[in-house]
Amino acid sequence: MTTGIIFNIQRFSLHDGPGIRTTVFAKGCTLRCIWCHNPEAISPHLETGAHGQVFGQPMTAAEVLLIVEKDRRYYDTSGGGLTLSGGEPLFQFAFARELLSRAKASGLHTALDTAGNVPRGWVAEILPFVDLFLYDIKAHTPDVHRRLTGAPNTRILNNLDYLVEHGAAVRLRCPLIPGINDSVDHLRFIAALSRRFPQLDGIDLMPFHDLAAGKWRAVGRTWQLDEIKSAAPDQQAAWLNVLRAEGCDRARIG
Amino acid sequence: MNEPHPFSVEHAFTEAYRRHQHTHPALREAYCLQAQFPAIFLPIRKDDRFAGRIAYKHIGFSPQPHTGGVGYYCDHAALRAIIEAHPLSASDHRAVEAMLDFWRTEETRAKVRAAMPPTLAEALPSDAWTEEPGVVFPLYRMAGANLDYDRLLHRGIPGLRADVTAVRAAATPDSAAFYDALLIALNTLERSALYLAEQADKGGFARIAASLRAIAVYAPETLHQAIQLVYLYTMHATLQCNFGRMDMYLGDFLQHDLETGRTTREEALDDLIGFWRIMPSFEANLERVKFDLRVIIGGRGRRNPENADAFALLALEASDRVRGIVPQLSLRCYTGMNPDVYTRALDLIGSGATFPILYNDDVNIPAVMRAFDIDEAAAEQYVPFGCGEYVIDHRSFGTPNAIINLPKGLEITLRGGVDSITGARMGLSGGSLPDFSTFDDLLAAYQRQVEYFTDAAGEFQALEYRVAGQEAAFLYFSLLYDDCLERGMPMFSGGVRHLGGTYETYGNITAADSLTAIRRWVYEERTIAPEMLLTALDADFEGYAQVREQLLNAPKFGNDDETADAMAVWVLEQVCGVTRAQREKTALDSFLVVVINNSAHILLGKLTAASADGRRAGEPLTNGHTATNGMEKNGVTALLNSMVKLDPTIHAGATHNLKFARSVFTQHRPALEALLQTYFSCGGTQAMITTVNRDDLIAAIEHPEHYAHLIVRVGGFSARFIDLPPETQREIIQRMLWE
Repeated sequence: MTTGIIFNIQRFSLHDGPGIRTTVFAKGCTLRCIWCHNPEAISPHLETGAHGQVFGQPMTAAEVLLIVEKDRRYYDTSGGGLTLSGGEPLFQFAFARELLSRAKASGLHTALDTAGNVPRGWVAEILPFVDLFLYDIKAHTPDVHRRLTGAPNTRILNNLDYLVEHGAAVRLRCPLIPGINDSVDHLRFIAALSRRFPQLDGIDLMPFHDLAAGKWRAVGRTWQLDEIKSAAPDQQAAWLNVLRAEGCDRARIG
Repeated sequence: MNEPHPFSVEHAFTEAYRRHQHTHPALREAYCLQAQFPAIFLPIRKDDRFAGRIAYKHIGFSPQPHTGGVGYYCDHAALRAIIEAHPLSASDHRAVEAMLDFWRTEETRAKVRAAMPPTLAEALPSDAWTEEPGVVFPLYRMAGANLDYDRLLHRGIPGLRADVTAVRAAATPDSAAFYDALLIALNTLERSALYLAEQADKGGFARIAASLRAIAVYAPETLHQAIQLVYLYTMHATLQCNFGRMDMYLGDFLQHDLETGRTTREEALDDLIGFWRIMPSFEANLERVKFDLRVIIGGRGRRNPENADAFALLALEASDRVRGIVPQLSLRCYTGMNPDVYTRALDLIGSGATFPILYNDDVNIPAVMRAFDIDEAAAEQYVPFGCGEYVIDHRSFGTPNAIINLPKGLEITLRGGVDSITGARMGLSGGSLPDFSTFDDLLAAYQRQVEYFTDAAGEFQALEYRVAGQEAAFLYFSLLYDDCLERGMPMFSGGVRHLGGTYETYGNITAADSLTAIRRWVYEERTIAPEMLLTALDADFEGYAQVREQLLNAPKFGNDDETADAMAVWVLEQVCGVTRAQREKTALDSFLVVVINNSAHILLGKLTAASADGRRAGEPLTNGHTATNGMEKNGVTALLNSMVKLDPTIHAGATHNLKFARSVFTQHRPALEALLQTYFSCGGTQAMITTVNRDDLIAAIEHPEHYAHLIVRVGGFSARFIDLPPETQREIIQRMLWE
């Protein structure tokens, strides 16, 4: 059985898909977003933090499911289920496939929180086991995307096309960092995606918060956004206004 | 002092008692109550909608004087403080001294203590549970009466008098004295109504006066008269009261008033708000009284569910409008209940009110059937009183008259029966931790310790009832408790149908988690030697940070962890088992554990050494069936899954505190409703939910002047956050907040 490196399992998760969910966070990522709020997820390996704490725990899919199953009754009444997140949860592809396929086979609702910067073959292969994709949109051009995340968004958008064309339920999740990627152009880009894919499940704007700074230090990485503050409510309202002006009124603050 | 004659009421009361000292105790009580009423009524206040506020004098009769005690009481400390601050004339002084001297042995509390046989006194050496370390302490009170208000309202004062007179005709001499005393008590009640009516007239309270005159002569016909009679009667019975299934007994009055156009819903709401505002402790914040004042709404087994639900909605609205720390509005939920009532209740909780407390009939009724050994119809009449103890409405009595500190029980078991704070011997010796070669040996020693103390608690409970019954008839209870009238016997002298008792256990989870850690590190992994554990605990972990770290890392209750939860189940079953066994060993019909909390888990924690769960000396014990603060790390579903493993059929109530961020109610309401629904369907019995923003709590410490409205649940009661002592405030902020 494949072993995954898991860095957190969060029960009673209300923010990663419908209903009451258990969100499983897997280590490893194909991007290097400067605002990353789970820096302990970037490396796929076990890490020891600055205060001696260990990030990551090897677990088999069966072991993870034992924990996930404990709250099945809560999923049943709330329409919830399992969310696999990261990092990039497809980074440990074999593990992700095993976990999601077993979960699906046992009747759990499955969500996958992915940035989509992975080979097309993986996306195609995982599709049957995922009830809902939570799909990250981070920047509007390949260059800006590369500057902010270390990779262009070409493959990400192609994979999005593929998923929508193949009937996947997709919800866009758009982290917005004041002064970094909340330009009008980026917001217009999100609105354009909304127009192009009316069948999307929804669009969540994820306002930046600066709670991750301490975690960056804990894993010995340098936090570059000291100057950026959490997005104020009026700023969030302004984003929604831009989107509405572009004909996208289904975006929500997530 | 404003009284023309210093302590005239106290003197009159004492005189009445002396004169009838050797009369039948029921009659003596009746005569004494004549000296107490109407003397202890307070003036009607400007905005009051009902009359009958009282303040106990320093000497008097009450089932539960809030200065502590039972029956005839004398507040020696307060009286002495007053005469020292305001010197009296020599003769007045002598008179007061003589009174103090008289009551020293005559007050019921002293008689209970004096009646303890030496073996019992050895097990329960101290009454000072807030000041001295100990395992079990006695409590002196007859708490938690839930009177038959239906009977009161249907019969009224004249009807009750007719009922007593009818049974009096064929009574034995002993019963005759009891009945005569009841008739005197009814006369006293009527006299109070007329006295207050006169006061109301003088103060220009025409409506109050009219209702009081009406209830002196007839059974009440309107909601206003009904509330007035309920309040007036209750204040005669006890200040520290509980109001039972109010929606049932007032619902028909509300409906009738509305149907006949006698009142509008708005007026009825104003009356109910007026009722809430004259609840004792509503403003005065009387420390002990706020633990009671339950009002129960909802639930199966109501004869008039539609009218009752209409009243329940009004009660929710009244609580919403006043946002007080009392009454402790409690909603019994059940499958098929009126969804409006449930929705309104969650709205209220979500808006930051600490009420209603939610109870789950689907689980509780079968649980009460087993715990009390009664049929379903009787179990449907369960009511939580005080901090959450169940009794059967006007059929059973179950005052909690002993408390046990379970971690202290474990603490002395580890040390051969010696208290590690004072070095005093308490409980059984039987070896210390290094002597127990297996974990099972330790468990066996702990079991013996708990059983020894619980036997003492059961014996005490029965003894306190016996002495209370010898001393008084508790007339206003007996009149509205099933069977007393028919049997011709007062409450505690054979009258009440089901004489139970309850036993407050504290720190259950602290004890369980400690045992789990000891098993793991001392007996299984053997990474901590028994001697080292004791040294580390005695040192409060100073110099033993690593030992503490290991202890903290052992499995903890509240995480849906099989090992830790199984130990919590064992600890509960063990203490419930030896408690329940008291019905074989004593005259009690039942003796049941309650896992409630008021602030005792904090006070007892102060007197408890460091424990093997990693808790430092003096820190609070766990609270009800809740995890140790900060130790529930797997989310609220895991906590709830742990909670429902604890068997509800072996005790008489447990509290479950849950604290949510306001946003869970405002932004995730469907998920929240699903969470509660699942918890209840999986066996959850009860939920005390608080919604807060942590930032508000922190800001309230810094700027109390801006946060007078912030009400939080401490456990068994609600409190204004800013009124709480700093350690309690800290404890509340540390409690896990689910978001």
